[in-house]
Amino acid sequence: MSTTETSALAVQAATSATGRRFSPLASAKLKQNLRWTSWAPAVITFVIAAALWQITAIANPYVIPTIDQVWMSLIKDADTYWANMLVTSLEVVVGASSGILAGFILAIIMAEFQIMERAIMPLVVVVMVTPIVAIAPALVVAFGFGMTPKFIVTALVVFFPMLVNSLAGLRDVDDRALDVMKTLHASRWEIFRDLRFTGSMPYVFAGLRIALPLAIVGAAVAEFVAAGQQAGLGSLVTIAAAQANLPVTWASIALLCLMGVILISLLALVRERVLWWSDGAAVGR
Amino acid sequence: METAQPHAGVYIEDVSKSFGPEGARTLVLNHVSLSIKMGEFVSVIGPSGCGKSTLLKTVAGLIEADSGTVKVDGMTVKAATKNKMIGLVPQSPALLPWRTVLDNVRLPMTVNPKANANRNLRDPREILESFGLGAALDKYPGQLSGGMQQRVAIARAFVFDPSVLLMDEPFSALDEMNRDAQRLGLLDFWQSNRKAVMFVTHSVPEAIMLSDRIVVMGAHPGHIAEIIDVPLPRPRTIDVYATDEFRDLEGRVRETLREVMGQKSA
Repeated sequence: MSTTETSALAVQAATSATGRRFSPLASAKLKQNLRWTSWAPAVITFVIAAALWQITAIANPYVIPTIDQVWMSLIKDADTYWANMLVTSLEVVVGASSGILAGFILAIIMAEFQIMERAIMPLVVVVMVTPIVAIAPALVVAFGFGMTPKFIVTALVVFFPMLVNSLAGLRDVDDRALDVMKTLHASRWEIFRDLRFTGSMPYVFAGLRIALPLAIVGAAVAEFVAAGQQAGLGSLVTIAAAQANLPVTWASIALLCLMGVILISLLALVRERVLWWSDGAAVGR
Repeated sequence: METAQPHAGVYIEDVSKSFGPEGARTLVLNHVSLSIKMGEFVSVIGPSGCGKSTLLKTVAGLIEADSGTVKVDGMTVKAATKNKMIGLVPQSPALLPWRTVLDNVRLPMTVNPKANANRNLRDPREILESFGLGAALDKYPGQLSGGMQQRVAIARAFVFDPSVLLMDEPFSALDEMNRDAQRLGLLDFWQSNRKAVMFVTHSVPEAIMLSDRIVVMGAHPGHIAEIIDVPLPRPRTIDVYATDEFRDLEGRVRETLREVMGQKSA
């Protein structure tokens, strides 16, 4: 062996290792986020929107409430709002997690057994093109006014984007890595364990990004049509709107919106942890 | 052809393969025969569409030949993959980005573990160190340069001690300077770990530098046009490029390639 060549390789190895930084360093990213150019534009937009809202609300007191009216309502009836938000959150958590799990598991089955995709996918599509608003009342008839129809509606809404995205992710494996596995006579299980499962995660997270806001839509819609229990932010919206109680209507809407923001932020946090290895080019952030 | 041990290494006899729908099939490999002895380094070169990658994939068990025989150490390709006797270095490194370099190289040991018995498994650390990647064991592929990634892929193919190595243009994505370093590194390592190597390339100097024999393939349909011996002494260093023998060989290979390409346009 020639020593000059190996040392040349080693030098090259050392230089190229320091040459490229990996996974955006947290502190650098934080610094970038703290720079005013990154947060100021959004803040300005919000301030302008709030100002326009306020002007419109003052000019049209019977159309929308002013921001301070909404705020006062939130403070005054904090307990009520909290209780209703808990109900809706429960629906979202239970419904979404079962929908996510069902979607992912069915995607695995379909990815591994093509015949299952051919057998089940048409049915799934038929169910999914049926408007959820139309299904919800029917579910109430079937399952009563309790939580069950709300869980089901939420799960249904989440299920489809999860299924479709997970399936795409499980299928989109690096063909060459797959070739390497095949020459090693890897079993289907080994290919799933080492390649497909983690490899599907960028798509799974893209699916979650669509599914989680939809979960809130699902829960709210279910409460609209199955308001029997008269609990949850969705119910609150319908009841308050029927009474033309603008502050309560909009306070409930604001809380639904807040839930969405919290969910998406949590998702972004988890994504950062799980998908640090993905450059996000394939499916976007 | 060999006589003493007819099936050691890679043995390809009269292999044909066509692709496409019934009625509009294109013949990609037309009665191809080739054998690679244990410890022999054979390059396959030719214009695109000559079926060199198809031939490699047939030996790797990724494509099944329509007719003919492919044997690896006297076994069918299927039995050979079952026994993990084939190491594949694909065109791109195809490393798993969520695994460290070390865990990427460990992958072949954890897959199909039944075949691990009675073989000389290498220490992944040791092999990576000898590839100049000792400092990169706990790094992730995304932190490495293209050349380093390809070396990890080669280490992954060597680590489970296969008897045959199949490399599909492994250095084609690298720049020329880097490619030279990688070739020498590979040669250096192979010198002390002699496997039967089938190396698909489209670089003439690369083929000469690395091989004992160069298989020149022609297209439409894919066939072996000529097999050229490379009698340059081993171990080889960069100095080989400057020798007259090298230049003569380069002229010969290019001449054959020109003939092959000429047939195509005729």
